[in-house]
Amino acid sequence: MSGHEHAVSADGVWKIFNEGLPNEVTALQDVHLTVDTGEFISLIGPSGCGKSTLLRVIADLTDATRGEMKVAGVTPHEAREKQLYGMAFQQAALFDWRSVRRNVELPLELQGWDKDKRKSRAMELLEMVQLADFAEHRPWELSGGMQQRVAIARSLAVDPPLLLMDEPFGALDEMTRERMQNELLRIRQETGKSIVFVTHSIPEAVYLSDRVVVMSPRPGRITDVVPIPLGTDRDEDTRESDAFYESVTAVREALRGHVGGAGMRARVGEV
Amino acid sequence: MSEAWADRLKFVWPPVLIALAFLGAWQLLVVARDIQPFLLPAPSLIAQNFFGDIALMWGTAYYTGTTALLGLVFGTFAGIVMALLAQRFGVVNNLVTPLAAGLAAVPIIALTPILNNMFSITSRTPRVLVTAIIVFFPMFVNVTRGLIQVQPVQLELMRSMNAQPRTVVRTLRVPNAIPFFFTGMKVAAPLAVIAALVAEYFGGPQEGLGSRIASSAANTAYGRAWAYVVAAIITGLVFYLIVVAVERWTTPWTGRTRSA
Repeated sequence: MSGHEHAVSADGVWKIFNEGLPNEVTALQDVHLTVDTGEFISLIGPSGCGKSTLLRVIADLTDATRGEMKVAGVTPHEAREKQLYGMAFQQAALFDWRSVRRNVELPLELQGWDKDKRKSRAMELLEMVQLADFAEHRPWELSGGMQQRVAIARSLAVDPPLLLMDEPFGALDEMTRERMQNELLRIRQETGKSIVFVTHSIPEAVYLSDRVVVMSPRPGRITDVVPIPLGTDRDEDTRESDAFYESVTAVREALRGHVGGAGMRARVGEV
Repeated sequence: MSEAWADRLKFVWPPVLIALAFLGAWQLLVVARDIQPFLLPAPSLIAQNFFGDIALMWGTAYYTGTTALLGLVFGTFAGIVMALLAQRFGVVNNLVTPLAAGLAAVPIIALTPILNNMFSITSRTPRVLVTAIIVFFPMFVNVTRGLIQVQPVQLELMRSMNAQPRTVVRTLRVPNAIPFFFTGMKVAAPLAVIAALVAEYFGGPQEGLGSRIASSAANTAYGRAWAYVVAAIITGLVFYLIVVAVERWTTPWTGRTRSA
């Protein structure tokens, strides 16, 4: 490598559960992937394709069985210790016993920030996700979309260069979801973060990403990488543009190619 | 505010009316059928005894209430400590429920005479001990469950934020267990009063509700015996209501829809 550090680089990464046992499952097979600094990558595929597992390997929530994973040039373990990434999940996972502001402060608290600095940083982030007015509310008083915005603010708290998002909008209704996507694009513009985003929505992946990584199950592997040539300034009109539909079609075909192929084989096998 | 009060009164009236109707029917039954006090004393007779010697009622309830409170405090403390250890050493995950069920079946009250011999019968200690043992189980089981039943995603979140195990206990597991603690307390607090009262049946100082219910009944003072029962009910209710009030005050998020 030419001294240029990738936000994430996976080199022949395998993840095998219960290796050597009868119930062995290959969740990831020989994954090669690089995410450039500042790039927005989506991982898409049917359930069981290993997209969440790949994200969890990046986050050091689970180990790779084989191969090398690097996050900002260091191991996922070091990246986690140095808080080089922030993470958001499908569930907001807010703590009911803390106010919205103190939920956002949590990662800073764990890093030993002092109280005043914590508070001003949390307020700054709540400003960014437009929830400053709700700082002293409790999480249960907020709608699902608002809770997820708090979770995103929390993932940005320590100002990590990388955001890992595991279907963060998966539990939201379509309208809220599209608003959240616009917010995420805006936040990305403002902060310049690298983002790895897991989803199973094709339009969502296309709308947000620079590249869409298409994955396929049994064994979980990358089957295609579709670049999305929509530029950096995207808004509601982008969703109606021809280029958008073309990219959606490209991703859909990439998905169908492999999924359909496997289905065909299975059907032939039955006959 | 006034509207909130009106709302609350709507919930208060029905049970009050039912209680009054019940007492009225009871009184009517006793008078009409001329039922003797040793079978069933009339509410008026019980009230007469209760209010006629209210200072004695208070003093007696205070004595048993103190035993119950001490037992509750020690039993709760032991339950919490054991729950923390159980969570820390991870042995109990599947052990807690069967263990607690098995031990809960031991008639601990029946140990009172033995404890009376082990400790001084003239002291409060054996009764406090029995109460503490009885309180221990609901507290241990509930608090352990609260420490263990944390949303997996919250644990992953803590890990992603590089939280150390001790920090996870302090910032996630313990706060998560607080609603469970109160669930345990709502069972344990009235139970403590009953345990303290029943433990008095096995000898020792005679100043408590249990002792005086027994001795009043033995002296055919049935109205008085029942007045002490009323005092015991009130004591148990006070224990329960204090727990409910503290719960509402400290954990307003329980009973709400949990945030996802």
